[in-house]
Amino acid sequence: MLRGVRRGTAWAVLLSLTASLLAACGSGSDAGGDLTTEKVTLRFTWWGADDRHKRTQQVIDMFQKKHPNITVKGEFKEWNGYWDSLATTMAANDAPDIMQMDELYIASYAERGALLDLNEAKKHLDTGNFDQKALATGAIAGKQYGLPVGLGMYSIMVNLDLLAKYDIPVPDDTKWSWDDLRKIGEQVSKAGGGQVFGVQSPGINDAAGLSIRARQQGKAMFDADAKVVLPPEIARDYWQYILDLAKSGIAAPPSVTIEKASAGLNQSATATGTAAFGLWWNTQLTALTAASGAKLKLLRLPGETQGAAPGAYYKPSMFWSVSARSKYPAEAAAFVSFLANDEEAAKVLLTERGVPANQKIREAIAGQLKDTDKAAKEYLDTVPVSDPPRITPNGASTLDTILKRHTEDVLFGRTTPDAAAASFIKEVQSEVDAAK
Amino acid sequence: MSALDELRQLRRGGVQVRKSDNRAAFWFLAPWFAGLLFITVGPVIASFALGFTKYNLIQPPKLIGFDNFARILSDSRLHNALRVTFTYVLVSVPLQLACALGVALLLNRGLRGLAFYRSAFYLPSLLGSSVAIAVLWTQVFGTDGLVNRLLGFFGVEGRGWISDPDTALSTLIVLNVWTFGSPMIIFLAGLRQIPEVYYEAAAIDGASWWDRFRRITLPLLSPILFFNLVLQIIHAFQSFTQAFVVSGGTGGPSDSTMFYTLYLYQQGFSRFDMGYASALAWFLLLIIAAFTAINFWAAKYWVFYDD
Repeated sequence: MLRGVRRGTAWAVLLSLTASLLAACGSGSDAGGDLTTEKVTLRFTWWGADDRHKRTQQVIDMFQKKHPNITVKGEFKEWNGYWDSLATTMAANDAPDIMQMDELYIASYAERGALLDLNEAKKHLDTGNFDQKALATGAIAGKQYGLPVGLGMYSIMVNLDLLAKYDIPVPDDTKWSWDDLRKIGEQVSKAGGGQVFGVQSPGINDAAGLSIRARQQGKAMFDADAKVVLPPEIARDYWQYILDLAKSGIAAPPSVTIEKASAGLNQSATATGTAAFGLWWNTQLTALTAASGAKLKLLRLPGETQGAAPGAYYKPSMFWSVSARSKYPAEAAAFVSFLANDEEAAKVLLTERGVPANQKIREAIAGQLKDTDKAAKEYLDTVPVSDPPRITPNGASTLDTILKRHTEDVLFGRTTPDAAAASFIKEVQSEVDAAK
Repeated sequence: MSALDELRQLRRGGVQVRKSDNRAAFWFLAPWFAGLLFITVGPVIASFALGFTKYNLIQPPKLIGFDNFARILSDSRLHNALRVTFTYVLVSVPLQLACALGVALLLNRGLRGLAFYRSAFYLPSLLGSSVAIAVLWTQVFGTDGLVNRLLGFFGVEGRGWISDPDTALSTLIVLNVWTFGSPMIIFLAGLRQIPEVYYEAAAIDGASWWDRFRRITLPLLSPILFFNLVLQIIHAFQSFTQAFVVSGGTGGPSDSTMFYTLYLYQQGFSRFDMGYASALAWFLLLIIAAFTAINFWAAKYWVFYDD
């Protein structure tokens, strides 16, 4: 509000501008240099739920105790606000030093030159205990733009309390199909009497479900050249499935589904105990168990044994990235190293951000795990997977929101699954082309 | 000597302006001027230039000529956003002004505790475009919200008003209508200006309430109505916060709350296409300018200046 900028404020702005100019002239470090002994402040940002904020703050405190001259300021948000805010701070040249980065966005930020090649900071950041394959998920054209934090897998989370209440047996997940999920969902909905539904509708919060469907049939969303190669009939069947769930009352009515899905993890149907089955990352088990207060169990994905290949894969749950414009890249790298390699830190973080990609750490925390963490780790260790898909190409960061809009159009009868499939593929392709 | 007299004297050159006064004035103006230059004029000029480039916010912009403006013509999601925005403006502004005028007429009858009512009705205007109210709105119109509880009393089954594309925009229109306070205050001031003698004369001639409203109040209030109309239309075209918060930044469900400004924001900050976003900003300026021009042209036919 310009009208509100009175003289005094304008002076203050002017002064702070000069101050920031002065600060910019002040000392900084380079990624390969020694750690400074001066007082510095690093900004560290992540998305997540309450549980994550508490654990992360604890680890920040531990780091600050070891490095009394380094202050780490944590900034946390929920998923949607996180990316809005990162884009704006990045544009304002005010990006945090250390960022939690996602597979969906890493190419888009890296290819625009916003991220530091962590190899430059090797001196402070030890990656020796990481599996090469895992490391490669954070590298683009030989440059390490992100250090994978943990691994996650897509899973079906089932609410055992609800099944017990309605006297429905837990399905055998070693060979169930998408049809089986629909059938058991129908049983739950019938017993739930309009309050509890069988399945939390997929297709709203991320595109992984669609990608899984394609992978089960030996296809993929993108090929190596970032071309969209998703066969339209797979997308069509996916939306037809979702539409059938909603129409037959197996999932909640569309407006309820969309409201809950947009309100974050704690408001989701799984967290509020209003749906028995939901698609989630296996590592969200602990957070969802805490939020729902119910006994949840991880089941394998349906359709894994009927198709060409398992759709499941190890997804780097997220990466640590350092801003290319950080004034203290060496110190930022040291902090990332602490997050990734320090055993004491790992014992606080456990598997909340995924089962650690650092193999030494994974073993070190094995004894510390809670039941839900153990279940998540066991799921990762035992469920068959195939090779991970290509990283989401630059320009396709909006993939999830494009998918969500098409799901909404289908659910509210504004388009047919057929038309949605064609429009989705066309739009994603044009987004990738536009970013070139 | 009043300020007005002083001004007249200045115009006649009757007052010697000391140079030191000028210099002081300049220093007092400088901060405001710097703000204007760096926070408004600079970005406005920059956005014009950026409209002709491809700019992803991090790498330097690349010149691409009129491509961004050409895209405006073929972008079907933008056309949907225009439809949503026009619906919002054309429905909510008249309703809002009608409410404002209605309440102003009620309050203008020498009510006791007028100051209280005035403040009470004005309050939503202060809050209306704030994040807090938008968050409140998602609660009020949510599936478990106040509206559905009320409907439940009457046995009507509610729904997620905000998460249903058929009703989502209506909730935003209701929100805008609810913030009728500021035009109401202006109407009240306008009503006070209408000389009482007209009404007395009309009453003696036996004019009904409706006649008095139509023949006296409306014509004499028309300049105020015009002022409010122009202002609220411009204001409504620029609405952003409500749609952003209520839809979680998506403009959903199904792009049903995709205001023009929200679409512009998404182009710039989700798709990192600041060139196109800048072109869109200038296109919006054209639209608003056109609307305002039409308003001023039409004013000749219905606005009555009593002087």
